[in-house]
Amino acid sequence: MTCDELREEYGAYALGIAENPERAEIAEHLARQCPQCTPGVRDVLATVAAMSGAVKESEPPKRLRRRVTAMVSPEEKRSSWWAIGAGWVAAGALAFALMIAIRAPKSDSSRLEQALSILNDPTTKDVSFGEPTARGRVFVSPQKGVVFIAAHLPPLGAHKTFELWLLPAKGDPIPAGTFGRQEDASAVYVRPGPVNDAAAVAVTVEPEGGSMKPTTTPFIVTKL
Amino acid sequence: MTVIGILLALELSGEHDEDLARRLQQREPQAMTDLYDRFGRLAYSVILAIVRDAAIAEDLVQETFLRVWNRMQGFEAGRGALGPWLLTIARNRAIDHVRSAGSRMDRKSFEFDPREHPSLFVDMEREVCNSEHARLIRNAIGKLNANQQKVIELAYYEGLSQTEMAERMGQPLGTVKTWVRTALRALREELEQAVTA
Repeated sequence: MTCDELREEYGAYALGIAENPERAEIAEHLARQCPQCTPGVRDVLATVAAMSGAVKESEPPKRLRRRVTAMVSPEEKRSSWWAIGAGWVAAGALAFALMIAIRAPKSDSSRLEQALSILNDPTTKDVSFGEPTARGRVFVSPQKGVVFIAAHLPPLGAHKTFELWLLPAKGDPIPAGTFGRQEDASAVYVRPGPVNDAAAVAVTVEPEGGSMKPTTTPFIVTKL
Repeated sequence: MTVIGILLALELSGEHDEDLARRLQQREPQAMTDLYDRFGRLAYSVILAIVRDAAIAEDLVQETFLRVWNRMQGFEAGRGALGPWLLTIARNRAIDHVRSAGSRMDRKSFEFDPREHPSLFVDMEREVCNSEHARLIRNAIGKLNANQQKVIELAYYEGLSQTEMAERMGQPLGTVKTWVRTALRALREELEQAVTA
């Protein structure tokens, strides 16, 4: 579609209410930095952002400030076992880290065996992800499963859990289990079993017990 | 507010934003605290007004700030408008949530939303969180006719598509599109007039 045809949809697009094909077309124009659509959408985005000034103000709870700042606080980083092993890449070091990490009283040797089986699989993909927050690695064996390791995870609210998702190239996210985090903001999660054509993995915060489809935007998305 | 007052406010806001953005890019944890102190209340208010659940709003505020932190490297500190960018992300998180909860999500929530690209938030007014601004935008919305106000409300707070709005209001799609378009244009013109008056 031409820029002139799209111009009347800039507002709907900026509000997030445009529908296809116009939405996809405008996104495509923006992706190539279209000299007509980019400033056009920018103008309306400014207006939409300005509308936040009309929203009735609500006082956030004090703990929210702590939750937000804790995500990047040096204390969280220092306390993390991840920092001790920063930069480790060898399988031996990884296995060692896993042995330390899989230390909850209820863990059994089968979980470690599952993890090592995935790590030892020559077809396993090994992908790192993250910025200073929620940094980690994920190991995906098409036949044997997923080992997910992360540090600097954000605090979980009451009755919340992290949920891992397998994202196929096409189709809906597939739930791959829930997990919590250790006191040091780290987590090691093993999901045994075949992983069919997963193109990416993601992690969301979900209500306790998990969801069948994501109800929040993932804070980790890693292409495999 | 006088022209000098507005310009001074924008100038101060600009300097503040630029410094804050650079510190965020340098990964200073204190900058995250400052960012929250500056925009946390407004982000929470926007999200809560949309999701209407305090616990969910807290989670989404956290997600918003994490997203900003993780994407700061693409932000142009000297020209970028930190507040509008963050508030756009905040509202998007909230709208994604209500759509997901209502099974109305047709865009996968893990997809990158091009509307959040920091390059779109350059050279725009930065000031979005003072009382003068709130008065201006409320006045501007108050001048819209009833139909324009309704579609803006349904779009901003509920994220209804124009087709959904047409169904709910029992109006032709073309009519609803016209109301949305003219309402946004009127708001923009009203705000521009206020700044240049």
